[in-house]
Amino acid sequence: MILNITWNGVSADTEVNVDDRVSDRDVKRIAVELIRSGGVSGLHIRDLASDAFEHFVVDRFDTPEGGQRLFLRPKVPFGA
Amino acid sequence: MRIVFCGVGALGSTAAVLCRSLGAELRLVDFDRVETKNLAAQSFVKQSIGKNKAEALKLQFWNFWTVKVEALGVRVVDDNVAEVCAGADLIVDCFDNRASREVLSAHARAHHTPLVHAALAADGSFGLVRWDERFTPDAEDHAGQATCEGGEHLPFIGLLASALARAIQEFVKNGRRRDAMVSLSAVTTL
Repeated sequence: MILNITWNGVSADTEVNVDDRVSDRDVKRIAVELIRSGGVSGLHIRDLASDAFEHFVVDRFDTPEGGQRLFLRPKVPFGA
Repeated sequence: MRIVFCGVGALGSTAAVLCRSLGAELRLVDFDRVETKNLAAQSFVKQSIGKNKAEALKLQFWNFWTVKVEALGVRVVDDNVAEVCAGADLIVDCFDNRASREVLSAHARAHHTPLVHAALAADGSFGLVRWDERFTPDAEDHAGQATCEGGEHLPFIGLLASALARAIQEFVKNGRRRDAMVSLSAVTTL
């Protein structure tokens, strides 16, 4: 499944081997590990905090191919 | 085609201005008044200060571009949302709080009116353009959380407003409802 991670204004896709029912908490934990290890192109931060994504949102969308796509992103409460 | 812009602060005022050439009837809705600090990040000018934001933008549309638009200086709530959105072929949500976004969503879903949301993160690093069928509003991390004081995020707001205006343009032209993710490094249409 594809996980898109947005951190500090940069977005990148990465392939993750997880079940459709993976929890938001686990998505955030996996994202931290991937970014720390250099597993996400353009997002390599060795000392990323464990709680970096605590206030982030996990969006889940069905793909035309029948799978799911995950987006880990900052909250977007603002507009006007 | 009548487009109702709900919230014409930083994001809404910028997007509405970019939609002035669509040939659609625009209705601008905002209860708030223009303050001096708003000039840093919103599409208002010195002469707007003290005026209702919707009315001030209406004046600018006419004075700058001879485009007539409608203005409603009201707060959108359950009791008036039907009146505010009457006749709308498209509703554009640029509000700054979850409760108001939910009022629009409930109305749009009940009346099958197309609704597109635009929203940005507090640090001005990320934003979304997302159609209502795929949108869930986010809450602030804490009450009263501020964003874009002093115009720091104006370039990003411009980027997000452009993505929103482009999504609106595409809907007006061919009915397509395209989402977009906007970060500091890229605009990704979905």
